[in-house]
Amino acid sequence: MASNNQQPSIVIEQIGRGPYAPSLTPFAIKLETYMRMAKLQYTNSHRRKRSKKGKVPFIEFDGQEVNDSSLIIEFLNEKLNIDLNSHLTPSERGIARAFQKMAEENLYWCLVLHRWIYDNRDWIMKLVGVPKIMAWIPVRLVKKQAEGQGIGRHSYEEMVRIEEGDLRAMSEFLDTKPFFFGDKPCETDCALFGQLSQLRWQLPNTKGEYFVNEKYTNLRDYCDRMKTTFWPDWDDCITHGGKVKKPKS
Amino acid sequence: MFDRVESEFVTFFNVTCGICIILMLTVILISTSRRRNVSENVPDNVVLLYQVGRGPYAPSSSPFPLKLETFLRMYKIPYMNDHSGKFSSKGKTPWIKYNGVSVADSEFCIEFLKRKRNIDKEKISPFLKATGRALQKLTEENLYWTMCYSMFVENQDMIATVMPQYRGWRLKLLVIILSRVLRLEMWGHGIGRHSTNDIWHIGKEDICALSNYLGERMFFLGDEPHEVDCALFGMLAQIIYHMPNSPHEKLIKEKHNNLSSYCKRMKDLYWPDWNERCYNVLTPKDDMGKIYFNY
Repeated sequence: MASNNQQPSIVIEQIGRGPYAPSLTPFAIKLETYMRMAKLQYTNSHRRKRSKKGKVPFIEFDGQEVNDSSLIIEFLNEKLNIDLNSHLTPSERGIARAFQKMAEENLYWCLVLHRWIYDNRDWIMKLVGVPKIMAWIPVRLVKKQAEGQGIGRHSYEEMVRIEEGDLRAMSEFLDTKPFFFGDKPCETDCALFGQLSQLRWQLPNTKGEYFVNEKYTNLRDYCDRMKTTFWPDWDDCITHGGKVKKPKS
Repeated sequence: MFDRVESEFVTFFNVTCGICIILMLTVILISTSRRRNVSENVPDNVVLLYQVGRGPYAPSSSPFPLKLETFLRMYKIPYMNDHSGKFSSKGKTPWIKYNGVSVADSEFCIEFLKRKRNIDKEKISPFLKATGRALQKLTEENLYWTMCYSMFVENQDMIATVMPQYRGWRLKLLVIILSRVLRLEMWGHGIGRHSTNDIWHIGKEDICALSNYLGERMFFLGDEPHEVDCALFGMLAQIIYHMPNSPHEKLIKEKHNNLSSYCKRMKDLYWPDWNERCYNVLTPKDDMGKIYFNY
């Protein structure tokens, strides 16, 4: 990391702390884990503000808005001369990207469907404070998005098959390694941890939770390892099921 | 006198239009019923593969039918094609019918056929199999959308290249409908909220990742082709044959030529009849009703 005389001001705009993980969105956990892995100084803002592209999280870097967690990381890598994947070969970088995209563009949608359409609907609506009479609004929006992406046209059983296929692949690739690409964590671990953390801690009583915590247990252990390594203050950064009204920002 | 001539002309015009409409409906009915006969005459244990028709420069202008048909050829599974363009009950294509059972989605079709045909599990390690799945998802869930954006939103002239049967107002209408549908799907997916430059950047990084991983290997998982190569070939072939002068195609040609060589290897191995299965080359042949691998 290049040394700067003045540290740039980095503010992560988020949606608030989650009940059992630092965010309900995997992309905020990815981004914040990256900041911690790269040892960047940053602050969080939980105003639930959306970016100009309608996405969250996003950052303000010295006042400049930067969107999309992957593009933010690339931006910061370039601006601050960071490369957390430097120990990977070109071939490993290729497969690292493939696993990240599998998790973020495929597995992620299973998480979304579990939460907003299938088994976790009541839990998430109560958590984010959506009255039952208005539940149809986010459900309809998610259904349309999921249908556009493609996964929304499958049945629940088919979605679970897709979900298990991705998790099995991640489990077999990780095998007994401490991190996905060896003994040293890399940038891609931030993205994979972001997604897996939701299944590990914030998808109660679902097949996704079962796969990570009981069937492919090396993924559970991996999550715990990432949490211990980069989030020693984890318990301060969650609301413990809503019991803590003002967790650490 | 002119009134009488005009009245007779109007009558003649109406009758002629009526006859033309009846003739058109008859032709449509006959051609539809002729195509319907393909699905009624499928022998047992032969896969009926529903597609939307051949592509101009590759056997399909969509990656998923090409993936599925390459898989059938890789494992020499008896099959025949139905190019009527009929969609599955999920509104998807391609899809298959096998011994009376319909299956939609190319990936589910492959899983189904592997079970039904007792196709041995591939002799590769779980680690390599996992790698293959990740590469496949990179192309089908990420790169694919950047290709759609390039073809149907950013540079709509390319639609004429892959659908040369459409011209004039029909082409303009097709472009309007396709670009609108895809914009909505891409917005839902998330990628559609990015700028053109950002979308291209995502596509470029995906192509680079595939090329770096392939390196000097013959196929993605080693010296022998595997099931995942059907998916990767299906996608990359669209860039090489159906996206001329696109940023994707130029990038592969100029900097990642190992992907072109890979596609040529797959094409030579599984598509010796490639030219006959493209409708814009010299000797296209309709294969509706032809049974492949019917030993």
